[in-house]
Amino acid sequence: MGSILYLLRKNIKNAIVDTFRHPMKLIVYGLIAASLVYAVVRGFTMEVDVDDMLDSRILYGAYLALLYFISIPIMLKGLSTGSSFFTLSDVTNIFTAPISPKKILVYGIGKQLATSLFLVVCFSAYGSMAIKMFELTIGGALLLVGGIALMLLIVQIMTLLIFCICSSKPSLSIYFKLFIFSLALFALGTTTAFMFSTSMTLENLYTAISEEYLEYVPIIGWVHGVVFGLISGSTTKVMIYSSLLLVLCIISVIVFMHAKLDYYENVISRAESYYEFRESIRSGTMSDKVLMGSRKIKLRKMGINKGSGASAIFFKHLREGSRRSRFMFFNINTVVLIGISAVIGLVMKTFFYKYWQITYIYIADVIICSYVQFFFSAAGDWVKELNKPYIFLIPDSSVKKLIMAGATSIIKPFCDGMISFFFLWILVGGSPIDALACALAYGSFGCIYISSNILAQRIVGISGNRGVFITFYMGIMIVLMVPGILAGFFCLTFITWELKVIATTVICIPIIIWNIFISFMIFLMCRNLLNNIE
Amino acid sequence: MLNVSHLTKKYNRFVANNNMSFMVNEGEIAVLAGPNGAGKSTAIKCIAGLLRFDGEIEICGYSNKSIEAKRLLGYIPEIPAPFELLTVWEHMEFIARAYKLKDWRERAEMLIKRMELDDKRDKTGKELSKGMQQKISICCALLIEPKVVLFDEPFVGLDPHAIKELKAMLFELKEKGVTIIISTHMLDSVEEFWDKILIMMNGRIEAERERKFVEKSGENLEELFFKITEKNSTGAV
Repeated sequence: MGSILYLLRKNIKNAIVDTFRHPMKLIVYGLIAASLVYAVVRGFTMEVDVDDMLDSRILYGAYLALLYFISIPIMLKGLSTGSSFFTLSDVTNIFTAPISPKKILVYGIGKQLATSLFLVVCFSAYGSMAIKMFELTIGGALLLVGGIALMLLIVQIMTLLIFCICSSKPSLSIYFKLFIFSLALFALGTTTAFMFSTSMTLENLYTAISEEYLEYVPIIGWVHGVVFGLISGSTTKVMIYSSLLLVLCIISVIVFMHAKLDYYENVISRAESYYEFRESIRSGTMSDKVLMGSRKIKLRKMGINKGSGASAIFFKHLREGSRRSRFMFFNINTVVLIGISAVIGLVMKTFFYKYWQITYIYIADVIICSYVQFFFSAAGDWVKELNKPYIFLIPDSSVKKLIMAGATSIIKPFCDGMISFFFLWILVGGSPIDALACALAYGSFGCIYISSNILAQRIVGISGNRGVFITFYMGIMIVLMVPGILAGFFCLTFITWELKVIATTVICIPIIIWNIFISFMIFLMCRNLLNNIE
Repeated sequence: MLNVSHLTKKYNRFVANNNMSFMVNEGEIAVLAGPNGAGKSTAIKCIAGLLRFDGEIEICGYSNKSIEAKRLLGYIPEIPAPFELLTVWEHMEFIARAYKLKDWRERAEMLIKRMELDDKRDKTGKELSKGMQQKISICCALLIEPKVVLFDEPFVGLDPHAIKELKAMLFELKEKGVTIIISTHMLDSVEEFWDKILIMMNGRIEAERERKFVEKSGENLEELFFKITEKNSTGAV
């Protein structure tokens, strides 16, 4: 164990030293710390009117959702037999050392816990806000933060238990998976059932998410019960739920002590793919190999069949797209987008429609979906092309190569926008022109993402520092977006009450024009980007 | 023909290539030799037009950044980077289309066969081992019938058959008058066919020898290599 402790000590020390050697990292950490301090100070100093105070049932439901959000992914990791507890260097150096597998497992899970504790620090910053918004005492806020820490601890112990059992009997993992999903489904199912059995009002939603039977859910509900039992002074509740948790922990520890662990083989291949994934994020070289993992590729149509010179890149992207998804531009991202768009639309229509116009639904949908699109754009064809030398070697003009390499990344958001806003229009109604305008606005944000990426690559260099690149990329993106959004809302001020039915389109048109115009200008400005790899 | 004149490449204050000048004629095989970190790969990347640099590089009379030069240049990177979702044959097709090649199929067939990739033609880049991926890189670079070929550590990861076949291809390219540059730190892998050797250290060319000179003088190349690289000298030998 001494060697593991030494490794941990040195890792922590070197991480701190490394932070001071990389000013950008230090600035980012400084900004996170400053924002957390700001959140605490703002929480304590903000003036909240009695009318603005939130229903305590929201806190009850939101806290339960938070516990689910923290615990379910960690428990699922336990099922994948330790995939991300260990890095590739752990595998090559620690697994081969004469150290007990149990100690190594505790080390792996301990590292995971340290990462999770960062979450507690982040959420604790919002404790002060909760004090004001929900009229909590400081003790109550501390209990909420303590509850998260307790949840993390128990969920790690549970992960140990799941891991021990599944590594010796992998066939049992399906039952654990069912158990973990049933925990989530119970909460979702009972809430949905309550809403359908009553009526779709905000009041009923608050009641549904604060029902006491949600605390019957093993582990997550029990932790929730202990915390809210302490806050409300319900000794019986605290005693019952804390006893249940204690028994579960004792059983887990006993199982762990008696388990014969042989998990190295399971971990190795996963550690390798996790290493590749991490490295690709670190270096900004996302590839299909990393994204698709061990998924079998269906070849379907063969050959590139079209294109000459730079345009061959575009047709190559089409062929690659057809291998990622049968429907080329419509893939899992499209499905996720339709889902998000539909949920936002339905929730807003159901609960807020009395107060808000349909314009708000469409605009909120454009904003949230465009935000989600940012994460999808990180793995666009254009980004992947830069990781290989061919685009730089092809004997054609740089601007042609730039346009052809970016074409699919431009077309895809427009296709996604069309389909998801078509579904939204079916669900919430309104004018089809509004839906079309929103789809185009969503697509035009895709142009902004790719042009910001190109401009950031131009400034920082294709092989430049990733941290600096991302900072520039985000900064440029915000600067490019703002004029279009401001112009959209400025045009809205000219809309009279009679013309309010076209408000969505009026906001979207300036955004679309600006986004496409500025993106085109950036493509022209950066036309020499592909002259070299730097 | 390749003409490198006063090539200097800097990364901030670090000088990766320091005022390198050399020429490789048609049908010559030049070897860039040197220990790890000597600047061989950086020089190769500069010649391939992938990096910014100071100085001049000409490929058959054209600036290496020009489209004309790119048309004449084949580059095999040290780390193979195939397209994960394209099959072996589609790599050939893509290169043929991107370089606007005519009548390329027969040549592609021949290259694939010689690199023993013919039974893997419908396998995607993702499904291939590192060695196979390296073979694709070689096929792609040679498909365009280049006048200048740059090989960056070409033998690393190849199986014995592929090494034998690649060496045979090098002789054939040489016969056809193709200018070849190979970067390596393993002198014995190139001893059969080099015409010119440039021994690099700390970004500089510390020694330049021609085969006929070495054969005449009886100078031991390996001894010269170690003399330069182990004493970390700075003056030209």
